[in-house]
Amino acid sequence: MKRRIEIGILYSRSGSYQLVSDACRMGAMRAIADINADRGSGIELVPVERDPQSNADRYATLCEDIFKTSSARHVVGCVTSWSRKETIPVLEKAGGMLWYACPYEGFEANEHVVYMHACPNQHLVPLMAHVVPRFGANGFLLGSNYIWGWEMNRVARDLIADAGGKVLGERYLRIGETDVSRLIGEIRATRPSFILNNLIGTSSYAFLADYRRLGDEDAAFRPENCPVISCNLTEGELPAIGETGRGHLSVGPYFAPRPAAFASSFEASAYASVQVMADVLSRNPEAGPGEFSKAFAERRFSTRLGPIVIDANTQHATLPVIIGRIADGFFEVVSREDEVAPDPYLSRYDPARTFGRPRLRVVS
Amino acid sequence: MTRTPRIPNLGGARAFILHRPHPTVQAITRQLSAIGLIALDCWPELPPGALAADFVFFDADLGFDEQFPWKAGEAPMPLVALIGSEAPGRIEWALSHKADAQLLKPVGTAGVYSALLIARQSFEARKHLAGEIASLRQRVAERQTIVRAVAALSKGSDDERAYAQLRSLAMSWQISVEDAARRIVAMTDEEATSGEGGDDQSHRA
Repeated sequence: MKRRIEIGILYSRSGSYQLVSDACRMGAMRAIADINADRGSGIELVPVERDPQSNADRYATLCEDIFKTSSARHVVGCVTSWSRKETIPVLEKAGGMLWYACPYEGFEANEHVVYMHACPNQHLVPLMAHVVPRFGANGFLLGSNYIWGWEMNRVARDLIADAGGKVLGERYLRIGETDVSRLIGEIRATRPSFILNNLIGTSSYAFLADYRRLGDEDAAFRPENCPVISCNLTEGELPAIGETGRGHLSVGPYFAPRPAAFASSFEASAYASVQVMADVLSRNPEAGPGEFSKAFAERRFSTRLGPIVIDANTQHATLPVIIGRIADGFFEVVSREDEVAPDPYLSRYDPARTFGRPRLRVVS
Repeated sequence: MTRTPRIPNLGGARAFILHRPHPTVQAITRQLSAIGLIALDCWPELPPGALAADFVFFDADLGFDEQFPWKAGEAPMPLVALIGSEAPGRIEWALSHKADAQLLKPVGTAGVYSALLIARQSFEARKHLAGEIASLRQRVAERQTIVRAVAALSKGSDDERAYAQLRSLAMSWQISVEDAARRIVAMTDEEATSGEGGDDQSHRA
């Protein structure tokens, strides 16, 4: 007889970043189904699901609702950092734990959150280190108007300065805004070496479409000359982006091979979250934060993403860092580094190691 | 032009937590090591190594002056007060040590990062201001010297021209007006003591 354990699922089923949300939910649900079907596993996971409908204010109340109406103490959920930060006080009050399967901007290490996707030393820093020597150091920074974009661009400004470049513009759009004509005009005028895209969902798709048109008019803005680089773009959004994304770059812990076990890193990371959680709970169904912390310190977890280590200090996962270029409906791998330990506060960031010696300019 | 660094470089910094063994110490230690600092706890005294610490967190509830190897208010690094009881006497004592930031007890899962950044910034600002005030004080104290130097240069005639001369001397010697005045006063005193009519050209600019 399997022991039933309820777990919360907190993903929006509608709204402007629904594709990402659906990918995460799919990963969590697939993992639950696989664990329940596994006769060797002593536990049966019962999802307790709530849908915040992409409304940041509903995450905390719905998370609280999960804790009040079920025995669940673990929640897999949240896509935006805004929603994660809204949820944390509820987790602290209830002694719950959030398994967060999305890349985020770093500078957080809450005991009640397990960070299963990349933080800046696993996305932005290696991506910039790749881009600067190939395209140049002058960046144009874009973001949706909330914490992800603000904090990512803030770190990017520092990285660009360390690389000897200039920030040629920094612009924010309201989440869901699709009028990007002014951004395109400013990029055309300032001619950056690359564009850091922290727009999310529909804003990001609208930007890529218009940027493609700009590249058709002026070759300086084709991806081989001035790429759009992202830290959160995955296969899950390629259908919405279509042909306009081709050639641009993204970074993540997983890009789907063909044929693929998972459609995107969001799905893979949510799947791995449930696997690690189930692994600890199947040995001790009563495991609380202390037992989880002990398990993180002592163990490697075997997941469908490969072996995973979770740093007990920060509760962030050690992950591969893969840079991918958008091809025809998938990402070609441009570079790969395995087992990059998390450094959410960039305490070990070293400009000299990241960008090499200061770039010398030719003086004529 | 100076650029404000946006990636605060806290990796490997050393923080002492002056607090009796308590869950508060564990909560702070956990946050410090997550951020990348080396946390060292001690009670009731700060060990000699604390003099080279980058931060000191101290208990405002049970703390006392003799715990610190420096005079109250003269800590050579940013201090963070750990305040439990908000008794006015204890707050007054924490203030006498010029804590640069504070954390309320019980310490939960957050707060240390902002305390570190705030403490460091206000410590730096305080140090900078203190340096500026000291140099201004010193200059104010030289008022009399300037008056004496101007009097010596004008020899009782045109004060304005004498002051302009003092300034141009300071400029050509590449020192402050106060230092130039001190030099002139010293020369004048020397001339006065080296006998009547002694006009040592070698000291003239």
